[in-house]
Amino acid sequence: MTSEPIVDAKLAQRRVPLIDGIDKVTGRARYTVDLDHADALVGRILRSPVSHGNIVRLDVSKARALEGVIAIVTGDDCPYTYGVLPVAMNEYPMARGRVRYRGEPIAAVAAIDADTAEQALALIEIEIEKLPAYYISEDARAPDAVLLHDNKPGNIEREVHHEFGDWQAALAQADLVREEKISCAEINHAQIEPHACLAEYDPLTERLLMQSVSQVTYYLHLMLSRCLAMDESRIRIIKPFVGGGFGARVEVLNFEIITALLARAAAGKVLMALTREETFLTHRARPQTDVTVKIGMKRGGKITACTCEVVQRGGAYAGYGIVTILYAGSLLQGLYDIPTLRYDGYRVYANLPPCGAMRGHGAVNTRHAFECLLDRMARELGLDPFEVRRANLLKPPLFTLNGLMVNSYGLPECLDKIEQASGWKERIGKMPPGKGLGMACSHYVSGAAKPIHWTGEPHAVVNVRLDFDGGITALTGAADIGQGSSTMVAIAVAETLGISLDRVRVVAADSAVTPKDNGAYSSRITYMVGNAAIDAAQKMKTILTEAAARKLEARPEDIEAIGEVFRVSGGGEQSSLPFHEVAKAALVDRGAITVSGTFTTPVEAQGGKHKGGAVGSTMGFSYGAQVVEVSVDDATGQVTVDKVWVALDCGHAINALAVEGQIEGSVWMGMGQAMSEETRYLDGLPAHASLLEYRVPTIVESPPIKVFIVESHDPNGPFGAKEASEGALASFAPALVNAIANAIGIDLDEIPVTPDRVMQALIDRRRQARLAQSVRAAS
Amino acid sequence: MHAPSPPPRKRLLRLKLNGRWREDAVAESDLLVDYLRDVAHLTGTKTGCDGGECGACTVLVDGKAVPSCITLAVRCEGCSVETIEGMATQGRLDRLQRAFHEKLGTQCGFCTPGMIMAAEALLRRNPNPSDEDIRAALAGNLCRCTGYVKIIESIKAAAEVTP
Amino acid sequence: MSTLASGLRVAHPHSIEEAIAARAQNPGSRFLGGGTDLIVNMRRQIDTPNALIDLSRVDEMAEIVAKGDILRIGAGVTIASLAGDASIAPYKAVVQAAEGIAGPGHRNMATVGGNLCQDTRCIYYNQSEWWRSANSFCLKHRGDTCHVAPQGQRCHAAYSGDLAPALLVFNPEIDIAAPKGCRRMPLADLFVEDGRAHLSLTEGELVVAVRLPAAPPPSAYAKVRVRGAIDFPLAGVAVALTSSGGKVGSLRIALTGTNSRPFLLADTDRFAGRAVDDKLLQEIDRLVQKQVQPMRTTTASSNYRRVAAAALARRLVAQLAGQGAA
Ligand SMILES: Cc1cc2nc3c(=O)[nH]c(=O)nc-3n(C[C@H](O)[C@H](O)[C@H](O)COP(=O)(O)OP(=O)(O)OC[C@H]3O[C@@H](n4cnc5c(N)ncnc54)[C@H](O)[C@@H]3O)c2cc1C
Ligand code: SF4
Ligand code: FES
Ligand code: FES
Repeated sequence: MTSEPIVDAKLAQRRVPLIDGIDKVTGRARYTVDLDHADALVGRILRSPVSHGNIVRLDVSKARALEGVIAIVTGDDCPYTYGVLPVAMNEYPMARGRVRYRGEPIAAVAAIDADTAEQALALIEIEIEKLPAYYISEDARAPDAVLLHDNKPGNIEREVHHEFGDWQAALAQADLVREEKISCAEINHAQIEPHACLAEYDPLTERLLMQSVSQVTYYLHLMLSRCLAMDESRIRIIKPFVGGGFGARVEVLNFEIITALLARAAAGKVLMALTREETFLTHRARPQTDVTVKIGMKRGGKITACTCEVVQRGGAYAGYGIVTILYAGSLLQGLYDIPTLRYDGYRVYANLPPCGAMRGHGAVNTRHAFECLLDRMARELGLDPFEVRRANLLKPPLFTLNGLMVNSYGLPECLDKIEQASGWKERIGKMPPGKGLGMACSHYVSGAAKPIHWTGEPHAVVNVRLDFDGGITALTGAADIGQGSSTMVAIAVAETLGISLDRVRVVAADSAVTPKDNGAYSSRITYMVGNAAIDAAQKMKTILTEAAARKLEARPEDIEAIGEVFRVSGGGEQSSLPFHEVAKAALVDRGAITVSGTFTTPVEAQGGKHKGGAVGSTMGFSYGAQVVEVSVDDATGQVTVDKVWVALDCGHAINALAVEGQIEGSVWMGMGQAMSEETRYLDGLPAHASLLEYRVPTIVESPPIKVFIVESHDPNGPFGAKEASEGALASFAPALVNAIANAIGIDLDEIPVTPDRVMQALIDRRRQARLAQSVRAAS
Repeated sequence: MHAPSPPPRKRLLRLKLNGRWREDAVAESDLLVDYLRDVAHLTGTKTGCDGGECGACTVLVDGKAVPSCITLAVRCEGCSVETIEGMATQGRLDRLQRAFHEKLGTQCGFCTPGMIMAAEALLRRNPNPSDEDIRAALAGNLCRCTGYVKIIESIKAAAEVTP
Repeated sequence: MSTLASGLRVAHPHSIEEAIAARAQNPGSRFLGGGTDLIVNMRRQIDTPNALIDLSRVDEMAEIVAKGDILRIGAGVTIASLAGDASIAPYKAVVQAAEGIAGPGHRNMATVGGNLCQDTRCIYYNQSEWWRSANSFCLKHRGDTCHVAPQGQRCHAAYSGDLAPALLVFNPEIDIAAPKGCRRMPLADLFVEDGRAHLSLTEGELVVAVRLPAAPPPSAYAKVRVRGAIDFPLAGVAVALTSSGGKVGSLRIALTGTNSRPFLLADTDRFAGRAVDDKLLQEIDRLVQKQVQPMRTTTASSNYRRVAAAALARRLVAQLAGQGAA
């Protein structure tokens, strides 16, 4: 009677290793460059040596004549623009007429081997008539600056001006008004796998197979079709194992289109493996940003108004720019109660590699500036940093001023958790010299409620399949790039069906078999694909339950399924059936079963009605808060992060192990941006284009990170879950800068806080003190 | 018509790869990582940078962890070279592999083979490493996904298992 | 897919004599220590030898031998073995410097000779062929202007080896082998203040060993860099200090990362007999700031390297004096 159902122990503990983890630890996992390319040609790209100019001559005839060169393509071979936003595609895979940044592709070669391909590149003759080039926003915006794009006056891709409520009156009512200008350097995703793709064109069937490092194979599919003028049905995209993305591979990248063009021109297979330097040149990451933020505050810490100006140096092409500059403003809301708000955003063109989306897309730099200012004002008012944040909490469910929907809100609990764990109350103000504590909060969307390509289709579709073998196969277009999305799908299906995880196989991101998915961006997969997977599994469960009911001669509503056993509730041993028998019964008369689950966001979740109001809208925000403990060496300017306590409200941890991994990874990535990472261009050439000069933190200076998971059970999330991969990132940098202020009494206005910047601040302070002294002496 | 330069002359390289002696023709300019991936077809060893900066290509040469992307293949004549493919034997995961899998020491997996090889060299030398020992031994291996927290946990868990 | 120019030849001599002969036969060749500097540079085509003389099988260069009042470190000894060798332990600065070089994988391959002789560095130079060619190259390699100091006629690329300053404070000599025979000279004389030609070796000369005097004074090495590992020093400082009764006996300070050569700070004799107090530390600070010449060869500002070098020198002197008193 009381025989325990077989429950999957790992599922029950919610600590499930990745379903493809074994492939990764054994070296079996095949990433793009590991795919069989024995008969593939080698692709290489010729890149612009100048920042800005008109191509007056491009002669590939000598290169074409080199033995072993099979194909050469140039801008002439592709007259179609590409891009991620249908309204802003102003980029060609290879320059046509004009080059706008050093490193921009001009031509490409497919040859029998690397040596030949490189010799061919050297034989291509180009002549470029130089134009003035701009590397900082201010220069590009100067009245007499040459335009990068003729239809974009002032070299501005997009200006945003949003006003909500009477912010002027609210500022006037504040007890304290302060403004700060804070700058964040440009950074890069620096995923450890360099970019690569393998394209195969069969001239006989006129079909193209593309295998690439993509996060959104659907975009790649669309853009290949557009740029090669091929029918979408003749293209197949497969995503092999991908070594990280963090946003780098959301947009379609020039080398992917170029490789497809080469494969078609060569009538064969071409492997394009970019160097680390080229991977940096491809860029599409977080722009250099100047944030000027002003807050009006009551004595008790309540915010009355906020105004914020953001200038992003977006690089040479539109890319994601419009979305990034909108995010930077819209996500000022959704974390605290800000009753009035003004936002002015400027996305500026410059002669540098185009920026794009990166983990925490758009939100990170504004959040940094805001949280720094909040702390500085709290200090002035004699308030504790926790107190000032608690004075501004939201009271959900609600819609923010700019129309963002907030249902679940675990921020208060996050604050309690880290305050307690870090011993904040006992320690703050009592740290030894050079040591400090700082804190900050952040949030992020669980999937953009309105996708970029609005087609009227559901936001996510997952198919679940059952055949004679009794295996359950989940088919999803969602790209697992290391974040573990396929594992999440497997868990969602297994839990819903009440079966063991081992029975579930996930097939992901192969356009020939998996349903289209909008891809791995804006932390949408768990929320949207998770819900779609549950929906599909529920449909499958209905079918299985009906089959079990038929077999057991019971009513379907009396059947319960736990641990791979279907039974009549309250019945004995005889009234139960193991999974495989139910599966067989379900196949009778109808054969193999495929059900389709979907997820769609309701209109009210899709943001405000104002222009750009959809950006930032989501079904649910994750909420994070962290405390950072630092030591500052005031002789050398070196900062050490001693420890981090972080709490994240992810709604519900479907897999706590994976959630921890995502939180640790995002906090740490925030640390990289805050401490050491930045791109540096020397007249448009990237001085940072290596993993020596682009300083991703090593394990040595990476601190212990204590993670607390907060579960606010979102009413619409899959099992109540929200996102967990991005929300904690943005609070690291402000927590660090606030901790440094606590340690040495200096407010730093620039990140990363490299030793030279800290030292400069120390020197400036000494100079000011001396000056003040001499002024006093003279008076 | 330009003629490309002739392919380089090759010579025989004899080494013990994952416990088995073998002999292959290699160019003297071949790097060890090229030999492993293109000649021996062991693609578990990864490359993440343009030379010597990330540790993804770490393998063991005579038991020592080295970056194979700046090691000449011909230098390994007579040496024992071990890669990630040599770690699992007879269908059983090695203790580090198991720990990295179960403790989520791997996310995207791209740094993982190099990490595991560097950790293996450490555990052979120091069976009970402290957090600081682990940090020192993996200082040349960059990971962009994990923040290293679970990598350290994985290695500590593996150290508790007798090999 | 090969990432080094095909056609490269590699010789594997077994003795110093064979190595010298092989090098002499091949005017376009280079000695190969661990290759952690050279192979990286070859992959970027900033060095394009047609042949390499692999020193890893020259056993006589891979030993550390104490003989009389000299500790002789073979130039082929790896950085990892150097750091772990018991006979080196008294030379604290050397151990500290060795432990901080690059990453552990590099240290398993890299050699003492290679570390001393490593090329100078500059953000305009340690870049790919495409990068440098887009920038019309530079004075150091294939070009005719220096992007760091366009008016000048010299290269300011920074010497960034950690080991040299740590050795220099002990006043060592080096043994050099050459086709014409062997010679010995102070290590300090190996280095020249010229980023383009920073070694005084002539074509075909091989550094065979470093000779450290026995009974070393207390010493320490520290460097500043952005990350806790891998990064080259933005400034590195070694100090050796003897003191008695709280007074300075002899003080030697050597620097790296700030100039085109590692060098011993001049004029430290004048501190002999003085107490290590704030005044003295300030003078040291000023002396360092005066003698270092960092230029814009790194992404960190040159002023930072100047100030940080001075701060490290001050700190190490104070630290060693403190230990002496204790
Ligand atoms: C990512 C990275 C980080 C690094 N970080 C540091 C660091 O922090 N500190 C540091 O000091 N170095 C660093 N290095 C540089 C390098 O690893 C070390 O300098 C190393 O010690 C060089 O030794 P090697 O034996 O590998 O030299 P090799 O590369 O073999 O040789 C370097 C040069 O010296 C010549 N040479 C070698 N041996 C001799 C000899 N016996 N006589 C004459 N000439 C000889 C070679 O011909 C070559 O020109 C780093 C390198 C990398 C790739
Ligand atoms: S200092 Fe000048 S000459 Fe020397 S490497 Fe740098 S740019 Fe070239
Ligand atoms: S591939 Fe990066 S160190 Fe070898
Ligand atoms: S797991 Fe992705 S780089 Fe380490």
